[in-house]
Amino acid sequence: MIIEDEELICNELSKLLKNNNYEAIVLKDFKNALKEILTVSPDLILLDINIPFLNGEALLQNLRKESNIPVIMVTSNNSEIDEALSISYGADDYITKPYNPNILLLRIGAVLKRTKTNYNLKENELVYKELKFDIQKGIIKKGNREIELTKNEMIIFSYLLNHQNKIVTRDELMTILWDNSEYVNENALTVNISRLRGKLKEIGYEDVIDTRKGLGYILS
Amino acid sequence: MKFSKYFKDNLYKLVVFVVCYVFNLLIFLAFKVGKPVIISSSFLYIVSFLLILLIPYFRKRKFYLNLLANIESLDKSYLVLETLSKPEFYEGELLYQALYEINKSMNENVRLIEEHLQDFKEYIEMWIHEVKIPLSTLVLISNNHQEQFDKKTKLQLKRLEDYVDQVLYYARSENAEKDYLIKEIDLVKVIKNAGLKNMDEILENKIDYIVENVHYKVLTDSKWLEFILGQIINNSIKYKKDMDDSFIKISVLEKQDKTILIIEDNGIGIKKSDLKQVFAKSFTGENGRKGSSSTGMGLFIAKNMCKKLGHKIDIESVYNKYTKVYITFSKNKYYDVLK
Repeated sequence: MIIEDEELICNELSKLLKNNNYEAIVLKDFKNALKEILTVSPDLILLDINIPFLNGEALLQNLRKESNIPVIMVTSNNSEIDEALSISYGADDYITKPYNPNILLLRIGAVLKRTKTNYNLKENELVYKELKFDIQKGIIKKGNREIELTKNEMIIFSYLLNHQNKIVTRDELMTILWDNSEYVNENALTVNISRLRGKLKEIGYEDVIDTRKGLGYILS
Repeated sequence: MKFSKYFKDNLYKLVVFVVCYVFNLLIFLAFKVGKPVIISSSFLYIVSFLLILLIPYFRKRKFYLNLLANIESLDKSYLVLETLSKPEFYEGELLYQALYEINKSMNENVRLIEEHLQDFKEYIEMWIHEVKIPLSTLVLISNNHQEQFDKKTKLQLKRLEDYVDQVLYYARSENAEKDYLIKEIDLVKVIKNAGLKNMDEILENKIDYIVENVHYKVLTDSKWLEFILGQIINNSIKYKKDMDDSFIKISVLEKQDKTILIIEDNGIGIKKSDLKQVFAKSFTGENGRKGSSSTGMGLFIAKNMCKKLGHKIDIESVYNKYTKVYITFSKNKYYDVLK
């Protein structure tokens, strides 16, 4: 759910979220914001601080009395004091405008993963076709065959896996790598991808990662 | 207050005295007055002259000497009036009164300007928040319509963002009010955020962002430090050498009483003659004149912010070889006790 009074931003944010397989609802009635939130009961709220009637912080305080819906505060005021305040009011994350869309999506993903109790996958294991991917150990398994992945390959593979059948741009991959403190350059990313391809091929999945020229990669 | 100068100023008294004395002698001689009378009255003359000359000198001396000495020793010399007692001679009273009035009017002026400045700063901060709204919209639009907006748009938007941020932090760092919050921060996180923020430019310029072991905690405001780091990284990008293996290396030197964050690049470096002034306001130096866009504000603001946060920032460079920036965080023992 998006709580934001700038219409254009709302539209573009919705578009961004929909492009990434999220459902987006925009809050309409700021006067009865709390009631509307509770009726919709979203999985996550993007809450701007500067909104009409009650400001975001006050709204958050009121919301926390009723519900534990994850909230990411979005604001143009980039200050440690505001961040500390928001967190103390119960926000799950704090992002400043203008946000990098890739980072925003990462944060949303992270907050959802952290808070969702009925996360439908086992935390440490992802499944791809007959392949089991043990994130903890960094191993892909098919039957008795095991292949070890490096940290970078793991990050890339799990991201591709979470966005299966969707084009993932190099930008997105870069962002998630850097977000994990792996500061690779363009060449290294290419090398990592081809190594990952090699390892997947070894275990019987040839050409599952497809290159879409000028766009990115897609795991089918 | 020098006696010689005072004497020179009062030379006319001597002239009047000598003229009167000569006339008096002539009168004495004309009336054939006896020698003892001439001698005794001359003595009286001279003594009274000396008294007239010296008494005012000693009366004023104390006040003026105090005034001058206090002006000299005070850091803010306009406060000198507060340190003086009211003089007991007429001229002094006049001066004292005049100084008092001048001071008052100056104070009013200063207050007015401070108010204006404060208003202006508040306006700037508000303006920045306003301008960030369309900026965010643009960023989102360009991201949602990547077929129409290529990487160039993104990089230009990023530059716009950087300049807006610079103004924001300039206003904040100049502000008398406390606008920061110091707490224990993991350097890893700050370095990561600064890297992510500048990732596109770093990659676009084919620079390697190398981060060594930086798992240390320091006392600072993470947003401010992120901005400072951003300025340094931006400089490294801007002044990189035209070659393939450019890098920005970030490392930490841990000492007993301090933690030093080191940001090193192998860019074009800074000439020795410019090195001393890199933190000066609006200083662009030779590199800045060569390059296209240099405001000379980045490092100045960074230095100001470091000063407020209590960090030290130093720069070391060899022209055509490298630039190293050191940010020193001191460790606070009192804080350890509180933990």
